[in-house]
Amino acid sequence: MSNVDLSPGSRSTPLPQNSFMDQFNLEARTQRVWDLSHAVWFTLMGLGGGVFLAGRILNLTDDLGHWFGIPMVDIVSFVAIAIGGLILVADLGRPLQFWRAFANIRTSWISWGAWSDLVFLTVAGLLVLPELTLGGSQPFNGLGWEADGSDATGLALEILAGAAAVIVMTYAGAVLARPRSIPYWNSPAVPIQFLLSSAATSLATVLLLMAINDQPISGGHMALLGTLTAGLLATMAVHLLTHRDAPGKQQSLNSLLRGPHRRVFVGMVLVVGTLIPTLLAFIGAGVPEARAALSMVAFALLMPGGLLLRLTTLRVGIFPPVHIPSSRQ
Amino acid sequence: MTRWGMVIDIGTCVGCQACTVACKTENQSPQDAWYAPVIEWESGVFPDATLNYLPTLCNHCEDAPCVTACPSGAITRRDDGIVIADEDICIGSRACMAACPYGAINFFEDSGTASPPAALAEPQASVPERYAHEKHVHGAISKCTYCAHRIDYGVEHGLEVGVHPLATPACVVSCPAECRIFGDLDDPESNVSRYLTEKGPGQILRPDAGTDPKTKYVNLQ
Repeated sequence: MSNVDLSPGSRSTPLPQNSFMDQFNLEARTQRVWDLSHAVWFTLMGLGGGVFLAGRILNLTDDLGHWFGIPMVDIVSFVAIAIGGLILVADLGRPLQFWRAFANIRTSWISWGAWSDLVFLTVAGLLVLPELTLGGSQPFNGLGWEADGSDATGLALEILAGAAAVIVMTYAGAVLARPRSIPYWNSPAVPIQFLLSSAATSLATVLLLMAINDQPISGGHMALLGTLTAGLLATMAVHLLTHRDAPGKQQSLNSLLRGPHRRVFVGMVLVVGTLIPTLLAFIGAGVPEARAALSMVAFALLMPGGLLLRLTTLRVGIFPPVHIPSSRQ
Repeated sequence: MTRWGMVIDIGTCVGCQACTVACKTENQSPQDAWYAPVIEWESGVFPDATLNYLPTLCNHCEDAPCVTACPSGAITRRDDGIVIADEDICIGSRACMAACPYGAINFFEDSGTASPPAALAEPQASVPERYAHEKHVHGAISKCTYCAHRIDYGVEHGLEVGVHPLATPACVVSCPAECRIFGDLDDPESNVSRYLTEKGPGQILRPDAGTDPKTKYVNLQ
């Protein structure tokens, strides 16, 4: 007969296979499967798509440095999305079957995400290929389109890559928001928050590159950053203040605002990661000489703020009980 | 059109967990994976305290969020309404687990080895545990199928589904209190339809989820 270790903290049985729920108790349950790796994945996808769009929309691709002839903003974008995609694949239960994620584009947002990642990396990669410089020569220069989108083919590739980038930025929030199982996630506010956070972080990244490359940052750039972060604050406020008594969402809000996630969410996400960057951006809009420094600080605050926004959103994903007895209502 | 469904009469459930065990034995579900758990909770105050039971399983929803969320198409709804998962197609994204409001989907964690974990190699490991380890796909999900293999066997062999023990889900057959009733919801003469006619339209779990479940409850309070 084997000895069973009953000392405190010992574990004689493996973790439940259904780590989302304790299936024998009638309680609200916090999901425990999607966590830090997913938050990093969501953040990198948003950053990658957003940096590409910000560089193109603000027409800054040529001014912020190059690597092997490819604009640095595009390099940042490709690397972020490629790493995000690899994290997604690594987290699958069966990573070698990852290609099956493309199958259900009819209804699954993860399929949409997989396709948009692939389309973005392919089309945006093709778009910049003519500028690739190896050993002083540009072997793909004769491909027949302009990498900055100044001719018809280049523009078509740019628009297609831009559309894919928008989906890349959006789908993670949509994955959470679509099912009604977790009331805190089941809200349009979740994908909007993720989108605004991605846009703000991406713009801050581009402004950081501008500051590093001694490019002038305009008041309009800073005002745009402030508007995005203010919009993020407003969306978070709406999300926190609506449907507060719904089963499941009530527990999520308790956990965020009064429970174990209070310091991280209120302190790091709301105040340090969103409110202060908003103030810095609007101050920078009116103080030209401080813009470079303020944009660097804004980037340093927005980046962890965005990651923690996603992480806390995942960690307060709470399933209400499958049934609420009349005696508890 | 056949539309298989189940009615569970909470008023007659005695909480014996025979269904839970019968399901595990029938499906050889992975260690610690439960397709048909009976939830228990206490209510009232002594001396008027009560222990309540709620048998659960996959609700085989008409508008199944797991089917919608699955990126690989591994979870599908058959023409007879049964929601099934193909473990060979599943990639283990677990999107279905987040989407299911009932916690009815289990994930078979990949141990990263081709051989069974050490615990299963020990002499006290049960035969079902060893068998399940070989049968189920690591890194994939698994769930209740309403014992589709038994239903299909019954249809093939002309047995009355929901009545003949070989053509009825194991949890229904094993229930000593007969609180689970299975049959064709679209057939007004089926045992399940007649039960609902007699007892009322039936209630569902998590109505806010809008999934239109085919597992219905009677006497749910």
